[in-house]
Amino acid sequence: MSELALIIEDDEDLANIFAEALRGIGYEVELVADGKIAQERLKNGAAPFLVLLDMHLPHVSGADLLTNIIKKDERLSKTMVIITTADARMGDTYGDQVDFVLIKPISFVQLRDLTNRLKPRIQ
Amino acid sequence: MKYLNPILTVPTTDPDDARRRRLLNILLLGTLVAAMLGLVSIVINSILNLDISQSDTQVLLGGITVFTLGIFGIYQVNRRLSGRWAALLFLLLLTIIFVFTDSTEELVNGRSLFLFTIPIAIASLILVPQASFLFAAISSAIIAWLATSIGLSVNVFVISGFFVLALVSWLSARSLEAALKELRAINTDLDRVVAERTQALAESLDRERIEAGRNRAILNSIADGVIVFDRNWNAILANPAVRGILDFPLELIIDKNFSELIEHPKLAPKSRGLLYAMMEHDTQPVGFRIEWGGKTLSVSAAQVYSRNNNIGTVTVFRDFTHEAEVEKLKSTFVGIVSHELRTPLNAILGYAEMFKESVYGPMNEKQINMSDRIMKNTQRLLGLINDLLDQAQMEAGKLTIQMAPVKPAELLENLHSVMDKTASDKGLRLTSEIDDNLPESFNGDAARLQQILVNLVNNSIKFTDHGSVRVRLFYPHQNKWGIEVADTGHGIPESEIPYIFDTFRQVEGTATRVHGGFGLGLSIVKQLVSLMNGEIKAQSKLEEGTAFIITLPLVVVEAANTNWRKP
Repeated sequence: MSELALIIEDDEDLANIFAEALRGIGYEVELVADGKIAQERLKNGAAPFLVLLDMHLPHVSGADLLTNIIKKDERLSKTMVIITTADARMGDTYGDQVDFVLIKPISFVQLRDLTNRLKPRIQ
Repeated sequence: MKYLNPILTVPTTDPDDARRRRLLNILLLGTLVAAMLGLVSIVINSILNLDISQSDTQVLLGGITVFTLGIFGIYQVNRRLSGRWAALLFLLLLTIIFVFTDSTEELVNGRSLFLFTIPIAIASLILVPQASFLFAAISSAIIAWLATSIGLSVNVFVISGFFVLALVSWLSARSLEAALKELRAINTDLDRVVAERTQALAESLDRERIEAGRNRAILNSIADGVIVFDRNWNAILANPAVRGILDFPLELIIDKNFSELIEHPKLAPKSRGLLYAMMEHDTQPVGFRIEWGGKTLSVSAAQVYSRNNNIGTVTVFRDFTHEAEVEKLKSTFVGIVSHELRTPLNAILGYAEMFKESVYGPMNEKQINMSDRIMKNTQRLLGLINDLLDQAQMEAGKLTIQMAPVKPAELLENLHSVMDKTASDKGLRLTSEIDDNLPESFNGDAARLQQILVNLVNNSIKFTDHGSVRVRLFYPHQNKWGIEVADTGHGIPESEIPYIFDTFRQVEGTATRVHGGFGLGLSIVKQLVSLMNGEIKAQSKLEEGTAFIITLPLVVVEAANTNWRKP
């Protein structure tokens, strides 16, 4: 069974590229483009293996999702979190709370290789 | 004296003449009184029927009458015509009267001889000093004539006595006049000095008034609000612009302490501390911004010193609201541009990579090559946008340096991973070295140091066609470390070196055409180095190459603090 990756990104093209990168290495991908919807999805849906979280989102910001949902929900404690942002300072601020920080522009190859390494090795 | 003064004083311009004429008037008054006393004694004598004959009484009355009329006449001459003539007439009248006051024997040689000394003595005072001699001569002649008329010999001793008296009178009158003259000269001098001083004082007051008026006009005409405080921070002066800027009547400022203004509800609480700090800060001029009733004001203050003592402070308030809004807009704009430009470029880059990686099926060599070119150009565009955004941030003062432990070896490693390909594509060698004694880790902003290295190496590659670009991290002495980037390129003309760090500038002529870019790279490097309190200089020789040398303060990290963020 493939691992579930939740991509929370409001830009359609970037979401598409990220999704292709992750699908290509065997992740099952779910896309959410809105902060509020992402909030509901995180609260109610199955816990993903990986969350790729954009910090600039409509309605509820990525920072809010990170500090108020992901970090507080026991079910999500094992979920890996990668934040994406164009603002290097934002990365500095939240770097300690997440597994990885990717500063935009994000390379397809870079994301693919990184997430590939994170996948649990098949025994 | 109040009633006597108008009678005695003769209005004249010559002070000596005035003095003599006044003296003559006093003498005239005195003799008139004496005549009146004589008259009274005659009347008393005739009433008491004493031993004065009728004829004698008549002669005496006639004499007194003539004398009194004479005195009136002389008084009129003295007042209206001439003091000297009046004095001469008076002295002559006196001398003639004396001739008739006693018997000839007594006049020539007896008790009434002294009478003649009176005109001699006073002549020098009321006429001229030499006049004593004239009356000594007249008196001598009268006595000689009287003596001869009664057959006596002329008394030479008496005549000699008259002349000695005349000499004494002359000398004393002369020295009196000289002393008076001197006194008058001193007085005149004093008057002149007083007049000059008064004039000077008036002029200086005038000047001061003009100066004050001018200063007042300048103060009133400037658009910035100016409040002048004394050393205890009580407002002593405020210009009309203050009213407009603070929306506050001047009466509530003047003569009030600055703290009353600071505590006013219009002032945002966060600005209070700044103004209190300004009050306590009394060594250097300060400048900052405050929020006042919906406005942003810039405040600057300068202490006023007199002989090294602080005597007060001049504060200037400028309405900075518009500028602050523009700054905020600019910052918002930079944020939006940063996000909105990078996101689509990221998408282009991602799609190009997907082609290159054959995500949707196998690609031929030409297609892969094309994807490569798309990626390279996108990277270039991203670089330019980053430069522009950095420049905008630096201009807005938003770009800050964030210190964290940095390993120089990692800086070079990253540099190679980013720039090796660019160099080799152009057939250049990129080499690097680290001085052996440079600490393995020290404090710095890794991202900005990386940016400096990439910008300098990029610049060197751009302007070098053959040879190499050499990067060296060195350790000149304990408190500094340095970066040197040297190339074997075209070099920079000496005349251009001072301008190479200017914004939007490339060396004149061919460079701008042949090489792309905004000319922001070196300007950003220079500004980053300044933000890090470092220095940068360029050394160059045409057709031999250029070297950029940066020196930065070295802050070595304590071993325990060296923790590295993941990954």
